[in-house]
Amino acid sequence: MFDYKRFALGRIASLSTGYLPFADVASDAVPLSRLLRLSLFQVTVGMALVLVVGTLNRVMIVELRVPATLVAVMLALPLVFAPFRALIGFRSDTFRSALGLRRLPYIWKGTMLQFGGFAIMPFALLVLSGYGEAVDAPRWIGLSAAALAFLLVGAGVHMVQTVGLALATDLMPEADQPRVVGLMYVMLLVGMIVSAFAYGALLETYTPGRLIQVIQGTAVLTVAINGIAMWKQEARNRSRANAPPQAYSFRDSWAGLTDRAGMIRLLAVIGLGTAGFGMADVLLEPFGGQVLAMTVAQTTRLTVVLALGSLLGFGLASRWLGRGGRAMDAVCLGAVIGIPAFGLVLVSALVLSAPLLVAATLLAGFGAGLFGHGSLTATMRAAPREQIGLSLGAWGAVQATAAGLAIATGGVIRDLVLAAPGAGATSASPYIPVFALEGGLLLLAVIVALPLRRGDPAAAFGPARAGAADKTGAGCGLAAPGP
Amino acid sequence: MSNDPDKVWPTGLNLREAEEVHSYLIDGTRVFGVIALIAHLLVAVTTPWLG
Repeated sequence: MFDYKRFALGRIASLSTGYLPFADVASDAVPLSRLLRLSLFQVTVGMALVLVVGTLNRVMIVELRVPATLVAVMLALPLVFAPFRALIGFRSDTFRSALGLRRLPYIWKGTMLQFGGFAIMPFALLVLSGYGEAVDAPRWIGLSAAALAFLLVGAGVHMVQTVGLALATDLMPEADQPRVVGLMYVMLLVGMIVSAFAYGALLETYTPGRLIQVIQGTAVLTVAINGIAMWKQEARNRSRANAPPQAYSFRDSWAGLTDRAGMIRLLAVIGLGTAGFGMADVLLEPFGGQVLAMTVAQTTRLTVVLALGSLLGFGLASRWLGRGGRAMDAVCLGAVIGIPAFGLVLVSALVLSAPLLVAATLLAGFGAGLFGHGSLTATMRAAPREQIGLSLGAWGAVQATAAGLAIATGGVIRDLVLAAPGAGATSASPYIPVFALEGGLLLLAVIVALPLRRGDPAAAFGPARAGAADKTGAGCGLAAPGP
Repeated sequence: MSNDPDKVWPTGLNLREAEEVHSYLIDGTRVFGVIALIAHLLVAVTTPWLG
């Protein structure tokens, strides 16, 4: 007689692990295809950034007629969560799970937040703009709903990116980390470029229905892509699952990280450099348009040239650091390249030469690519394995906050100079202080970074310190929290 | 691990693991439920469909 129960049990036992979203064994070598799949989470981050900062920025002001200051406040809201990246990273480092997972639950939660924000965002925006019957609705409904939507998306993006990067770092041996960093940056850029074109084409003829379709489509796509990205990436760790709970406080862990030689200095360099490069992001296009009288198509090409330069920078940094180069060298070189690049931008305003601006933009992009890659690699190498999440969280917190503040400051400075009496002697005068400030910030970054480069190899975040320093690092970091 | 008396049939997870998987399901349902509720409220504000 056929034993149905045994047959069914056997089938289920052999199949079940195939349907579970975690890897059963941690393999030493992670194939490139799996790494590429993991890096897809950066595509959704890029999608969210472009949709919120680029597309919705315009749609809210032009089509929905929301006041520009309100739009600026709404778009700045996610920045509030940037400092919490360090906390998210710490929580994922020390997450207690019976399954022995620590990154996967956080990527999933972040994805849910992103989805939730996008799911209610179109309706929130329509209510905010007083579409249809919403004209008679109380004002606070639209305001709070839109704020909630942007906060959810922002929190989700911060969470997914921080923990996703930590997972990628977990999976790769230290020698391959430069490659991973390069891949992550490239995928972010690819996601941003592709989705910018896609949103542009989809929203060419704007209707409220189309807006709902596009944003909610983004929500579904985000869950789908992140699901593919995290499927079977993290291995279950039984020893971690069965380990007795350890009470590390965030403060102990943070103190352990910042006590490491050069860590505070590195974070300062990241903040200064990111602010220096970031300020240009939103001002290059209006600068080209207003000062050099470039057309919209030409200024859009400026952004493409900037991205191209960044790609070159990532490529060079990946090769260089992958062959054993020191991360701080790449950071310094990137910032050093940035200074003449912004000088060239100023010169191009004096001699009114568009080709010179294009060359300067390419150079600035190249410098930004080198700097970004170098700083992230340095952060990865600086932290012991147990504190990767916290360390990357600190990197993300500093980087996102600096970039956001820089963009806001750049805009404010330009508008202040524009509004000042006696200004406007030339169309370039509002931009000159901004670009000069950028050069100054980069110079400051180089000055702060130089001791890290000159110092002992352990502080320069070269690959040489891998083994021994890791263990001592664990000693002063997590393994020996204060009583 | 195969002789673990805590194993829950038929997944091979033990009780703590099964409860954790279940908690993700419950949390997800709650979060998605609340999101759907808010989205419906907002749609009702823009285009009321009941009365």
